[in-house]
Amino acid sequence: MSTTPGSRPDGRSSTDETRQLSDKVALVTGAARGIGLGIATVLAERGSAVAICDLSEDASRSAAEGLVSVGHRSIGIATDVTNRASISAAVERTIEAFGRVDILVANAGVWAASGLEERTDYNDNDWDVTHSVNVRGVVHSAEAVIPHMKERGSGRIVNIASHGGRKPRGTAIGQTLGLPYSVSKAGVIQWTHGLAIELAPFNITVNAVCPGELWTHMIEGIYTNRRNVGGGPADLSVRDGWDERMRDTVPLGRGQTPRDIGHAVAFFASEDASEITGQALNVNGGARMN
Amino acid sequence: MTDVTNLDGAITLVTGAGRGIGQGIAQVLSERGAIIAVSDLDGAAAEVAADALNAAGRTAAAFQGDTTSQDSMDALAAAVLDEFGRIDVLVCNAGVIGAPGYHERTDHTEADWDATFGVNVKGFVHTANSVAPHMRDRRAGKIVNIASHGGRKPRGARAVLGNIQAPYSVSKAAVIQWTHLLAIELAPHNINVNAVCPGTLWTPMWEAIAENRKASDPELAEFTPREIFEMSVKDRMPMGREQTPRDIGKAVAFLVSDDASEITGQALNVNGGAVMN
Repeated sequence: MSTTPGSRPDGRSSTDETRQLSDKVALVTGAARGIGLGIATVLAERGSAVAICDLSEDASRSAAEGLVSVGHRSIGIATDVTNRASISAAVERTIEAFGRVDILVANAGVWAASGLEERTDYNDNDWDVTHSVNVRGVVHSAEAVIPHMKERGSGRIVNIASHGGRKPRGTAIGQTLGLPYSVSKAGVIQWTHGLAIELAPFNITVNAVCPGELWTHMIEGIYTNRRNVGGGPADLSVRDGWDERMRDTVPLGRGQTPRDIGHAVAFFASEDASEITGQALNVNGGARMN
Repeated sequence: MTDVTNLDGAITLVTGAGRGIGQGIAQVLSERGAIIAVSDLDGAAAEVAADALNAAGRTAAAFQGDTTSQDSMDALAAAVLDEFGRIDVLVCNAGVIGAPGYHERTDHTEADWDATFGVNVKGFVHTANSVAPHMRDRRAGKIVNIASHGGRKPRGARAVLGNIQAPYSVSKAAVIQWTHLLAIELAPHNINVNAVCPGTLWTPMWEAIAENRKASDPELAEFTPREIFEMSVKDRMPMGREQTPRDIGKAVAFLVSDDASEITGQALNVNGGAVMN
């Protein structure tokens, strides 16, 4: 950052954090950790009440308690997005607690079925799990809030896809193993386009954020696989190998953080983005461009 | 409910800011704390726009510059640095739909290709060339190029705006590609480069488009340019409404804020969903 006198100081948020989403209510799936927790934290800091929905009841509650302990409004709800009844119940509980849902962030996702650290090719389980969570889970989540948003004549849906759902750059690591994931994330982007058209007449915008690479459990699994069986640098720790890869392949030279994704979600959820719908925005340091 | 993106004290150069989209961008950024260098080919329009910002309690100064001339833009950047000491944000916005007489013609001419390439493409290159060395020295900067959703892939349906828009659309596709490449070049210097692709706005440019359609389509003869514009919006925009210069300004405000520090090389449509990427 700049050190010139009079310029903006380092580390300062450029957004008035108390007003951007004041009095909004957001439901974030997969929010107990990783990207989802980063999104939930940023939305809460900017004034939104947040329902933290994740598979584990304990993890959802504990993440919500973390937000409440610093003065935000939050509840944790055990939610399985692959189950329509479960996500519908989560929407109902959120409305009970906070009166409505203004913002849905469909974030819950998986990279592959278990055992990926040691495999070199995908299996049927990988296709099933990525489709059921990343595609059908995102669809179920939207379906659970759409009637409510239509009735209110407003709403914001932000789907978390991936830049892996964009066209490949010609070379990429873990391409074969990562195909079910990439295909599912391309599905999320296309779902975003189609749903945006369907919901535009109801003043509901639907957009996607496509994260690049972040040091999360998911990326740790991918790079553990690369180090174990994918020809990644064996002389480096998994984390160091990832850092090196980011320096080499990302124009801005670094991975992203969950908060970076949260900032983009906050923008799409804000009044500033009222004319933006059907778009997918890469937050990836320029690693792929659209 | 308001959103206040805090751009406190960010010195911001906006080209083509004397009217239309550029003026709207300047307004939104200045409301959020940016200090605006209002640049326009029409120096008098720049003065009026800067005066209006100052009268509203913001800080702005007017500059005359011709983006088609590298010398002119170098002199302009030097004048802005002289006035404000640095440039944190550059918004390349100055653009044209075609050569003079565009609204009377039904097909593009050599002059349209020259005008759109000269202003919309080379003008952006000149402007970046004049400011990027300064940003590189400071290892900080944000550049936003105003492209158009017309620079994206066509939707396949009949080109409702006719063949005459081809030079414009091609030039705006070039702005998007320029954005991608400049982002890679400047990323090591901590400079972000992104594009905003506006949809359909009632500006002097769209008035020219509507006049052109009125002149070239007998079925539209009885309608006013504004009515023709509104019909196009209803037909083409999923959200059913036009965008405003302020809508574009809000997207620019996001992209130049610290919230977008991990976003570079991207083009974002602000178009009510009319074209999707």
